[in-house]
Amino acid sequence: MESIVSSFHLDIKILIAQLINFAVVIFVLYRFAIKPLGKLMSERSANIEKGLADAKVNAETLLKTQAEYDKALAEARKEASDIFAKAKKDAEMKKNEMLEDAKKEVSKIMAQGTATLEEEKKKMLDDAKKELASLVTSATEKVLTKGISEKIDAALIETSVAHFK
Amino acid sequence: MENNTEVKHEVTLYAEPIAHVGNFQITNALLTSWITVAIIILFVALLKTKLRNVPGKLQNGFEIILEGAYSLADQVTGDRKITTRVFPLAFSIFTFVLINNWLGILPFGSFGLLEKGAEGTSFIPFLRSGTADVNTTIALALCAVIGSNLFGIVSIGAWKMFNKYVNLKALGSIFTKVRKEPMILLTAPIMFFVGMLELVGEAAKVASLSFRLFGNVFAGEVLLGAMAAIFAYVLPVPFLFLEVFVGLIQALIFSILVLVYFTIAAQDHEEHDHAETLEKEVEFEMEEVAHA
Repeated sequence: MESIVSSFHLDIKILIAQLINFAVVIFVLYRFAIKPLGKLMSERSANIEKGLADAKVNAETLLKTQAEYDKALAEARKEASDIFAKAKKDAEMKKNEMLEDAKKEVSKIMAQGTATLEEEKKKMLDDAKKELASLVTSATEKVLTKGISEKIDAALIETSVAHFK
Repeated sequence: MENNTEVKHEVTLYAEPIAHVGNFQITNALLTSWITVAIIILFVALLKTKLRNVPGKLQNGFEIILEGAYSLADQVTGDRKITTRVFPLAFSIFTFVLINNWLGILPFGSFGLLEKGAEGTSFIPFLRSGTADVNTTIALALCAVIGSNLFGIVSIGAWKMFNKYVNLKALGSIFTKVRKEPMILLTAPIMFFVGMLELVGEAAKVASLSFRLFGNVFAGEVLLGAMAAIFAYVLPVPFLFLEVFVGLIQALIFSILVLVYFTIAAQDHEEHDHAETLEKEVEFEMEEVAHA
């Protein structure tokens, strides 16, 4: 043992000095390198994992949203076409109705017009008859008062009748 | 004598003193260790200031090393819990030993003191691998072995740990189990003796750890010195590469053995045999690599 100590120059002071050196190394490496870096690394891997999970959820949501959007769009299209078809039908109906009404109106107006015309005609005829009667009466009066010849009388009648033809 | 003016340089078995502070001798190995500590502190300070979530080059490199070291340690311990607790110590040992080993091969070895002794002037280099001094390696080995036993006490309890070495449990079982199994009269003393051997084994661990590291690094220095003495140009170059490799391997062996010792200490007596084989395997494999 003595020879080992002397041949290797074993020195408790240097041994302790080296122990202190090593203690410093452990402290520095652990406190300032391994611990914070390990924390950072585990935090980062947790972040990455979370990010990946989030991305997956997002992708799923996107797919779902797309499907929903497609569905909504299809529904909207169908509704729109339904509305359009109904509107067309309504319009058709309205048109027919209006046409019908117009026809009725026209026939009504026409009927009315005919009636008015008839009435006018009748009234005119009546007026003419009245006038004729009064004319005939006045002519007769004239003839009677002036002593008119047969020839004049005939001419008078003729002109009166011609007037009404 | 003629060669009185010639400067001798012998690679001594011990670290040479280069300065005295009071009655405290500063050896060249101690100086190298201080430089190692300074380098590590500098590096860590640099790393700490640039620590951020998106790593820069330095942080990225260190993260890769750390990641690799973690997975290697996991392979050795086989348990993440043990790894996370032992890792700082093992990694510190690795770094400290590695930088110490490599500092010894730097060409600054030619700077030094000339000392006039009884046998003429001898040259004392300022730098000598810190690990080429038994004081350093013994300090590290003591740290490892004492640490592993403390770790065992924390992990499985003081009583179980005590019974690993002084197997009072085995002796006690003579009285409690002798009626059922008479053979225990024979096995219990053997178990007790095995426990005593374990105690010797702990001392052997200190010796094997410290002298393995010291021997390899010191041999490297001697080898480089010898090669330089034969032909100083070109010839030592392949050996320099070899020493770089040896330095790395020895640092790795030391730290992995520390991991193994801690793993064994954390295990209960019943699973002990498995751990023992693990230790032998690792030791054997590392030696194989080292001698390849």
